[in-house]
Amino acid sequence: MILLTRKIEFSASHLYHNPELSPEENRRIFGKCNNPHGHGHNYTLEVTVAGEPDPVTGMVLDLKELKEILEREVMQRMDHRFLNYEVSELSGMIPTCENIARVIWQLLEPKITHGQLHRVRLYETPDLFADCYRNGAEGVKAK
Amino acid sequence: MSGALKVELGRRYRFAASHRLHTARLSEQANSRIFGKCNNPYGHGHNYVVEVSVSGEIDPATGMIANLADLDAFVEREVIEPFDHKSLNEDVRAFRDKVPTTENLCIEIFERLRKFPKAKLERIRVEETGKNSFEYGGNNVTGDREAVNLEGKRM
Repeated sequence: MILLTRKIEFSASHLYHNPELSPEENRRIFGKCNNPHGHGHNYTLEVTVAGEPDPVTGMVLDLKELKEILEREVMQRMDHRFLNYEVSELSGMIPTCENIARVIWQLLEPKITHGQLHRVRLYETPDLFADCYRNGAEGVKAK
Repeated sequence: MSGALKVELGRRYRFAASHRLHTARLSEQANSRIFGKCNNPYGHGHNYVVEVSVSGEIDPATGMIANLADLDAFVEREVIEPFDHKSLNEDVRAFRDKVPTTENLCIEIFERLRKFPKAKLERIRVEETGKNSFEYGGNNVTGDREAVNLEGKRM
């Protein structure tokens, strides 16, 4: 099995706020991520697809096809957007790195028809990231 | 599709420390042969990067596996404060009788952080330099320790 990874970057804003909690609790739990007008990040997304190379083309999947899927599903939805207000898949959710990674997984998995989505890694900053994968997927835990 | 969807949170931390790879179980010549310049008598240092991965359910109220402030404070107390700007050989009890290779450092950091109460520690990855990195996920702890002790030289 071959793992193939493509990386893209997008920029977006967000804020953490749970309307069911008091302003004081929001502040205590989320700190400056609770600032009312939001803030932004340059996100880096690494999408890994697993599969066997096609004997004719030598490819697990056509990178062009993956690029188009990422453009359509992620870039057009999230790039230069306010994640809380403009991305319907995240509505009602705190747009943490964990939740965004899971939403991106859910958007991509049904679209990837050559090979199998193996891992989504989303960096919010170079020092903070979330990984999403199916439990038991090889090659993630034991690298 | 098999397997439930799983999410991990990864966080990178940094500390600077010195070490010397040397074991009293081997002769001077053997130490020098195995560890090379890492055996130089006064030690040397690295800027270490520690990547910590934890997993758990995403709390619907916060969107988080674990609050970063809690994880940061725990790592600060258990790893950064005791290791940063220290000599691993001299200042960290675990390395009084164990070679402070980055393999052993991974295991030591894993053991310290596995007590984090808010999420499950999945693995530790330590970058000794931009070129060398080591990962440990908690398997065969006792066996690994012995094996890692006498492993080959590190540049």
